[in-house]
Amino acid sequence: MTVVVLGISGSPHRHGNTETLLDSFLDGAGSAGGSVEKVILKDLGYSACRGCNACHKDGNCIVKDDALPLFDRMMAADCVAVASPIYSMGITAQLKGFIDRGQFLWARRFVTKTLEFSPEHLARHKGIFISTAGQNWSHVFDGAYPSLTALFHDAGFEYYDNIVANNMDEYKGIKNHPTAMNDAFLKGQQVVAVLEALKKQ
Amino acid sequence: MTIKVLAFAGSPRRNGNSETLLDWVLASMAEDPEVAIEKVPLTEANINICRGCNACEKLNKCIQRDGMDIYHDKIIEADIILLSSPIFCMGIAALPKALIDRMQVFRSRKFVLKLPIVPPERKGKRLGAFLASAGQDWPHVFDAAIPSVKCFYHVIDIRDADISYLMINHVDEKGAIDKHPTAKADATKLGKTMIAELKKRLAA
Repeated sequence: MTVVVLGISGSPHRHGNTETLLDSFLDGAGSAGGSVEKVILKDLGYSACRGCNACHKDGNCIVKDDALPLFDRMMAADCVAVASPIYSMGITAQLKGFIDRGQFLWARRFVTKTLEFSPEHLARHKGIFISTAGQNWSHVFDGAYPSLTALFHDAGFEYYDNIVANNMDEYKGIKNHPTAMNDAFLKGQQVVAVLEALKKQ
Repeated sequence: MTIKVLAFAGSPRRNGNSETLLDWVLASMAEDPEVAIEKVPLTEANINICRGCNACEKLNKCIQRDGMDIYHDKIIEADIILLSSPIFCMGIAALPKALIDRMQVFRSRKFVLKLPIVPPERKGKRLGAFLASAGQDWPHVFDAAIPSVKCFYHVIDIRDADISYLMINHVDEKGAIDKHPTAKADATKLGKTMIAELKKRLAA
């Protein structure tokens, strides 16, 4: 059974540092035999969560747009790599907009209690966060992690790893970073191998 | 002397808990006849997301023409800037994050082009406050939002020490904040304190 790897790019501009790093991860995953897909959030049409709490009644979102099919696609994947650059010490509004729309999954887990993930399910579904930041502070990614944790947990993914590279302003781009591109490629290969082994069990 | 207050209500849900908190602060500020308040619900502000094009690093302005054309100038003119947001998925909601990301034009002005944001005589005489609500009862539920809030104020020349925070957790359903034991009193007090502090600085 093929390992399905879905990349979600949350950058508003195409082929920048973060998407390039995501591409390297996906190339690695593909080279290890994974079936790789990539979604560009800026090409989709979805609105921000309205905070209406309608999903707290029946676990369904009343806003019908491109966000819901993407959650379905994500949950059908074995590995999801979610990528966003750091803007103003957090993930982009684009990615935050998508993550917030996952509220219906949270409602299914904790309000209607119609969604539950077993430890085996979580182990077989890996979530990876990929990011770059201009700043050289090591804590520049800290504000992003909690929202990714929320996304991965509500969609049934183990928060498996972060692939992050700071100090882009100084490196003048991810391709000048000494290790990041290769690390991302190797991590793509490794996660496919790990998931393949789990599928055979 | 008129004190200009610009208040961004960041929740996609109108008149919910974070906006109520903001309204309490504004009501207490409005008791002073010298205070002029403009409240902007971000649901109606027409602020697109930042495209990350970095054109502002060269142009000193944003290439997008939208609501930010108006609020850019208002942000510079205001003495007090308030921002309210609910916490969604452990972070600031997408709508106020979009506003914060659009402050990139100020960041470019300040750090790349090395130009002033406000005239020198107004530096250190602006105040900010972040009003937030969260459904979760965890005390750390606001932690991930704060760095972005600090960025927002930092690039528009409101110093860390001049940002106040009023963040109320464990309020989820609309109206839940009305039953909170201290939120309204704290919001009222914050409004008064900020106006008093600002008047002191303007008089100095």
